[in-house]
Amino acid sequence: MSEIKTVRLFALILASALLAAGCAMQSKKSDFFGKIAPPDGQVLRYITGSEPESLDPQMSSGQPEARIDIALYEGLAEYHPKTMEPIPAIAERWTIDEDASEFVFFLRQNAKFSNGDPITAHDFVYTLRRGLRPELASRVAYLAWDIKYAEALNTGGAFVRDQKTGRFVLASETPKDAVEGGVAAEIQPASVTNAAPPDEETLHKKELGMKGEDAAPDTEFHHFIHAPERLVVPFDDKDREEAFKANPKLKDLVAGKELVPVKPEDIGVEAIDDYTLRITLRHPAPYFLGLVPHQFFRVIPEKVVEKYGVNWTKPDNIVTSGSFKLSEHKPYNQIVVVRNPFYWDNANVRLDKIMFFPLEDNTTMMNLYKAGEVDALYNHTVPASWLKGGIRYSKDYMDAPENASAYWQINVTKPPLDDKRVRKALNISIDRNALADYRVVSKANNTFVPQGILHGYPSPQGYNLNVEEARRLLAEAGYKDASGKFDPKKFPVDLVEITYNTNESNRQIAEFVQAQWKQNLGITIPLRNVEWKTFLNMRSKLEYKGIVGGAGWVGDYMDPYTYLGLFATREGDNGTGWYDTKFVAMLNEANREPVQAKRYQMMAKAEEYLLDAAPVIPLLKPATSWMKKPYVKGLYPNPGTLHAWKFVYIEHDQAKWDTKMPDMTTDEIAEKE
Amino acid sequence: MFRFIVRRLIVTVPMVLIVISLTWALIRLAPGNFYASDKKLPAAIEKNIRVKYGLDKPWYVQYGRMMGNILQLDFGNSLKYENETVNDILKRTVPVSAALGACAYLLALVVGIFMGTLAALKQNSKIDYGSMGLAMLGISLPNFVLGPILVLIFSLSLYWLPPARWGGFPSWNLLLPVLTLSAVYMAYIARLTRAGMLEVLRSDYIRTARAKGLTERQVVMRHALRGGLLPVVSFTGPALAILITGTVVVERIFAMPGLGNYFINANLNRDEPLILGIVAFASILVLVFNLLVDIAYGFIDPRIRY
Repeated sequence: MSEIKTVRLFALILASALLAAGCAMQSKKSDFFGKIAPPDGQVLRYITGSEPESLDPQMSSGQPEARIDIALYEGLAEYHPKTMEPIPAIAERWTIDEDASEFVFFLRQNAKFSNGDPITAHDFVYTLRRGLRPELASRVAYLAWDIKYAEALNTGGAFVRDQKTGRFVLASETPKDAVEGGVAAEIQPASVTNAAPPDEETLHKKELGMKGEDAAPDTEFHHFIHAPERLVVPFDDKDREEAFKANPKLKDLVAGKELVPVKPEDIGVEAIDDYTLRITLRHPAPYFLGLVPHQFFRVIPEKVVEKYGVNWTKPDNIVTSGSFKLSEHKPYNQIVVVRNPFYWDNANVRLDKIMFFPLEDNTTMMNLYKAGEVDALYNHTVPASWLKGGIRYSKDYMDAPENASAYWQINVTKPPLDDKRVRKALNISIDRNALADYRVVSKANNTFVPQGILHGYPSPQGYNLNVEEARRLLAEAGYKDASGKFDPKKFPVDLVEITYNTNESNRQIAEFVQAQWKQNLGITIPLRNVEWKTFLNMRSKLEYKGIVGGAGWVGDYMDPYTYLGLFATREGDNGTGWYDTKFVAMLNEANREPVQAKRYQMMAKAEEYLLDAAPVIPLLKPATSWMKKPYVKGLYPNPGTLHAWKFVYIEHDQAKWDTKMPDMTTDEIAEKE
Repeated sequence: MFRFIVRRLIVTVPMVLIVISLTWALIRLAPGNFYASDKKLPAAIEKNIRVKYGLDKPWYVQYGRMMGNILQLDFGNSLKYENETVNDILKRTVPVSAALGACAYLLALVVGIFMGTLAALKQNSKIDYGSMGLAMLGISLPNFVLGPILVLIFSLSLYWLPPARWGGFPSWNLLLPVLTLSAVYMAYIARLTRAGMLEVLRSDYIRTARAKGLTERQVVMRHALRGGLLPVVSFTGPALAILITGTVVVERIFAMPGLGNYFINANLNRDEPLILGIVAFASILVLVFNLLVDIAYGFIDPRIRY
């Protein structure tokens, strides 16, 4: 009897404690979320996600690292704080040749490392050569593969030289049929297949060097790098045998000739003088400039790196090139950076100190934010349940769209989804608007490249909900009853599965779409969740049945090619088995088009082709979804949540605080006082 | 006694090596690898990484190399955080987890033993029901529920205590995680103490002690507690080992840079050297603490002789 009483008593105490806490939360109705108390002075406390794997800009691949790297290192160009387009940084200006395959950067003469050493074009040459060395094994080195012979260097390739004549075999001499042959081409090193076909005509026609006042002098190296592309084969014996097996004619071509390993000095990066850097690409790539602000291209100090090796980023050794320098690194606790007095634009840097807190648990981050212990969070940090609890109306909530696309991938190599009609039918039986409403943090998106993120990109129409048409397509694909109408029972549900990696939001989306298909088509496709690394493995080996959910792509740079390029190869993140030479040709053609507007149109055509083939089911376009206190200024909800910290500051004058999400329609960087 | 300890310590070495080998095999059997991320790497880049870390060698070469290093107590560099050695990480994180764990266990011991003893002495009274009810709550309320409730009350409503992050030792930041962590142990210890004390209080030697005319205080403190705490002592070994090797959930909720946080991430990242290092450390700790418990038995319980 009394035992029951005790239990009741405790239940009551617990309930009232919770209620009291809940009331306390409710009663503090304010326009902003939690405590608003700016830190003293110009200090920003920021949560950037998991502990950075490395502070070496060439070695880190993730966004948490990218944000810290932006503080510590500077490159030729910096991200515009609003649009993320490249703006001048260590390079004061640049010129691009007419087919966008050669970039000349003119460096400012007052740029210095945090130890006072000047930053010159030679430092950039060192940075890129080191980053591409295969022994470094950088995971993001592929971002620079557009540079001529960079991939060859990075993948351990070798040129082929005829010992008798001393002449190098050219890529254009590769036996033709092998390059185009399906399976054979796949096993070949990417340097032979993925590159745009060597366009000798352009190369010969092109005049070396620019005309006019921006003329960069012609050099011996320039002639070498502009000579027709040399053939590259794997230097490693085993890999070369593989390549030969796939293409016996290549073996004949190489037989009896000398292999010359590609050296770091061979890549298309040249310091013309101390302050002029020329980068030559292997093919026209107008999007290359958008890559330049990426941390992989940010400059590092040769002397320090060579002296300390892998330990050069330890707090005692590190020397940086950006607006801040490292002052403290306590893993899993905090990374503190302070003003770099040698930074060329130090006078305009507002913050004295940034404290980056590496954290992974979203609730913990929100707790710290609410308690006023941090000033801003990174993207996707606000849990959906908190948003539904009202935070989405809070004036410090940032939900500008992101340079990202959430979609599902389809394994086009296995029935029944090897049939385009079936894929399309599934695509058009989803109500994306309802899904977006349900998800709160996303907007509907029926194209592969997210709509409305890239200025001037004419997104194709995409496909909308059309159940009639879906049923017709499925009937046409053979899943019909005697009267010719679609019969859900005929559809082989057991051959299809929605596989997603274990994650709450993936599960919600999967269940939602499953219900949509059940409601609209009458078929129930089973769900399966697997652990993340297992998921990646299944996807890359196409071992999944039918569909993988939970895929998303965050653009590497601001250009449709960062998305469409995924399907320019069978490997990588394609994950669907869909590979169409016509599509690849369309992309290559667009990339040779120098006029941006026209190039975008051609890209959009290619995207339309992709959407028609339907190897993916586009679903949503995520919002960045993060929070910043109103006194943090110059921190904008840009499409990549990558912030140039030099523009950020703490506003102590309450009258100037942000009362809503900053205006993203103008590209003005900061209000002048 | 001495021979017993030496014998136990000798057995520890092969046991740890077996644990390491099994862990190594499990990591290898698990799909995925440390460098995979959501963006698929080009095959050539993957190859560069495999060559750099010797993953292109046959498995027995890799196993031999790993074992060779471990026998020299060198676990190598973490794969994820490549400029840090596993030994560095252990040196840095163990003190954090140990501070957290030791504080929590100390609190649990003091409160738990007090509550348990009180409950046993006043069996079937309101105090007994009250403290045992509280203990039941402590056991059944998981720390991922208790932690957020405490944070909600003390950090987000009252703004008294920081909701998370390490602030050095000692600091106010420790209070909530220590409370959260100790709740379960407190509860267990209270129940174990109560059960142990109840049994002992009915035994003949206590009756003898009382018959000798000792005060109740003397009976409890000098005679009953010694026997009544035996279950608590055997619970302490493994409990302390677990606490010191990091408590994943609490360290995560409160963003503590301890071993538990690293351990969960090492597993998610397939960071082999780090996983092996932590597993080796944890297993050594468990074995040593169990040994210490056995030794402590010898002192507490006169009936036990080695």
